[in-house]
Amino acid sequence: MTEQNILMKIRDLSVTYTTRLGDVSAVDRVSFDIYKGEILGLVGESGCGKSTMGKALMRMIQPPGQITGGQIIFDGEDIMTYNDGQMRDFRGRKVSMIFQDPMTSLNPVQRVDEHIVEAIQVHEPKTKVEQALERAGTLVRKLGIQKRRMNSYPHQLSGGMRQRVMVGLGLVLNADLIVADEATTSLDVIVEAKLADQLRDIKEEFGVSLLVITHNIALVAELSDRVAVMYAGHLVEIGDVEPIFDDPLHPYTKGLLKSIPNIKLDENEDLYKMGGEPPNLTHPPSGCRFHPRCPYAMPICQKYEPELAEISPGRLVKCWLYLDHPEKEQETIEVPA
Amino acid sequence: MKKLKTTEETMPNPEEAPQWLLDLDKVGFVRKLFLARKWYGGDWWFVAISGVLLIFIIIVGIFPQWFAPYDPRAEVGPSLLEPGEPPASFQLITRVDQGDIQLRDIANRDNNIGFIIGSAASQAFREAVDTLNETAPEGVRYQPRQQRYEYLIEGFDSLITGEIDGFIASPDELGETLAEFPQLQLTGTLREEGERGFVFGTNQIGQDVFSRIIWGTRIALIVGLSSAVVSLLIGVPLGLISGFTGGPFDRVLTLIMDSLYSFPGLILAIAIAAVLGAGIGNIIVSIAVLYIPTYFRIVRGQTLTVKEELYVEAARSLGTPKLKILAKYILPNVIPSVVIIFSVNVGDAILTEAGLSFLGFGLPPDTPDWGIDLARGQDYVRRAWWLITYPGLMVTLVTLSFSMLGESLSEILNPRLTEQ
Repeated sequence: MTEQNILMKIRDLSVTYTTRLGDVSAVDRVSFDIYKGEILGLVGESGCGKSTMGKALMRMIQPPGQITGGQIIFDGEDIMTYNDGQMRDFRGRKVSMIFQDPMTSLNPVQRVDEHIVEAIQVHEPKTKVEQALERAGTLVRKLGIQKRRMNSYPHQLSGGMRQRVMVGLGLVLNADLIVADEATTSLDVIVEAKLADQLRDIKEEFGVSLLVITHNIALVAELSDRVAVMYAGHLVEIGDVEPIFDDPLHPYTKGLLKSIPNIKLDENEDLYKMGGEPPNLTHPPSGCRFHPRCPYAMPICQKYEPELAEISPGRLVKCWLYLDHPEKEQETIEVPA
Repeated sequence: MKKLKTTEETMPNPEEAPQWLLDLDKVGFVRKLFLARKWYGGDWWFVAISGVLLIFIIIVGIFPQWFAPYDPRAEVGPSLLEPGEPPASFQLITRVDQGDIQLRDIANRDNNIGFIIGSAASQAFREAVDTLNETAPEGVRYQPRQQRYEYLIEGFDSLITGEIDGFIASPDELGETLAEFPQLQLTGTLREEGERGFVFGTNQIGQDVFSRIIWGTRIALIVGLSSAVVSLLIGVPLGLISGFTGGPFDRVLTLIMDSLYSFPGLILAIAIAAVLGAGIGNIIVSIAVLYIPTYFRIVRGQTLTVKEELYVEAARSLGTPKLKILAKYILPNVIPSVVIIFSVNVGDAILTEAGLSFLGFGLPPDTPDWGIDLARGQDYVRRAWWLITYPGLMVTLVTLSFSMLGESLSEILNPRLTEQ
């Protein structure tokens, strides 16, 4: 991928929550790129910092949380330097967000069309209501919502429709990146499949990029072009979907993929359960944060933190198995390109 | 293939809401009230009754002159008449040897007129003399002296001996006694028997209780509504801002409001009313101060909950400015609870106002006001039950209808409740 294809560059982004028990580094020096017109899946366990990551991309972290460092470069500008007014304009127009629970992500006292008209008018205050309604109408038709539903209240819509309205809110201002934070989690599988299809269509049609945050690995495999795996606030592996699912490199990714229930499992075979517990992020383990649970752990793993290094083209892994170090005794695994 | 298509067509779309649910939003306000029973069970009549009652009370409050038969401050009849009891007639009794005379002939300054102690005859007498004076020629003034007797016979004896020139008594007081005194005669009627009594009776100074209650509605509504509106206008914005911004501002404001709230209500109102002095405006202010913390606390609490909702975050993610979030996302979702407090608050304010007047704070003493009427009527509880019963009933009724209406309206107009 060339420099021009990069939509958003995230460099050393850190988010810390200040609690009475100490500082929790929910996201720790994470760097990656989001390309134009791709669907990037972000997976990981609950509490690994996925959602925090998504919110941080829009600088929506609320106290007691705080972005403690790093850069988010969008269109050549670091949005960390934006003031409140610029930030408001950025949100919605450049990046928008779809939330976990469609049942509560729409204002219960506003009709669907009011939501969309408001979104337009916030960013383009001169737009007349009729024009805004027309734009909303076209968009909503593309999303497969009947026009007569435009003046329904959110509670009159099903979960799938609400989620589509949320998608519409993200699209109406021609945002370049849509962050879908567990957008399909509370939908049933049929509606989820429909929405996934629709998201892909939207990507084709509008050329937006999507960051799909989920713990549903199957959905990511189906939907995404690339996938990023997070563990305990660190990004441990990122690369194209197929290589990662065919041959996961990071031990955590391996374990994660093995934990997926599979209909082909026979009676004698148990589902793989990863040993240990997710670490307490007020006192993260030294070195590689995964080493206490890692079946391949080496002495070096608890001493030094590995870098997220490009092992093969487009494939980055943060693991000592694939890196050299003077103190390392074991052999480094070479990954063929 | 064809078969498959037909099944698809007949299959109900799981994403369709039932048609009646959609229809609910297309109707007007009045129709909505009727449709309300669809999701509000049998309780729609609750709204109807309290609504009709309140509309009537409000009309009465705005146009008391249409309903009140008498001036509430005027002395319109004998004192302490029971509800519906017509005022008695009174007759003038004179000696036969005085000839055919009228009250006018024996009403000079040196004449004496007698009646029984405690009888309403004194009132009838005073009225009759007043009428005489009105029609009297220039320079003539009627002012007979009054003599009171414990018994009718005593008075008759004085009349026969010429100590007094006339005696006034009602037919009830006379009974058969007059027949035993052939020297005496009935010469005239001072006051005809009233055709009709007073619906709710009269009070101790002869004012019509019914008219006073009607005019009291106006005071109660003015004080109740305006103090509730004043405290709403102050309490709701403060609660919204405090809950939304948080931080030290919120801390300080909450502290102030909590300390206001911790006072016993009526005592605080008394203190403020005592400092401000008499007058309807001051009463409104002192009651309003009392209820500001109620609005503040509820609205602040609701704001704290609502601002954590996902749709507020979604609005922020679209770049909606803070003021707009406050006005379009938080306020409308807080309003339902404000409506409920408002309605209960109006009733409560009327009650507090009655309490303040009852204790003698605020309104001038002759104002037709339920609280004042209650206070004055309590001295006569044993003799005249109607003096305190009717004002008390009105306070209860108005308070009740306000809270009934507020509660049920908020349930009907809340779109979220249609889900169930």
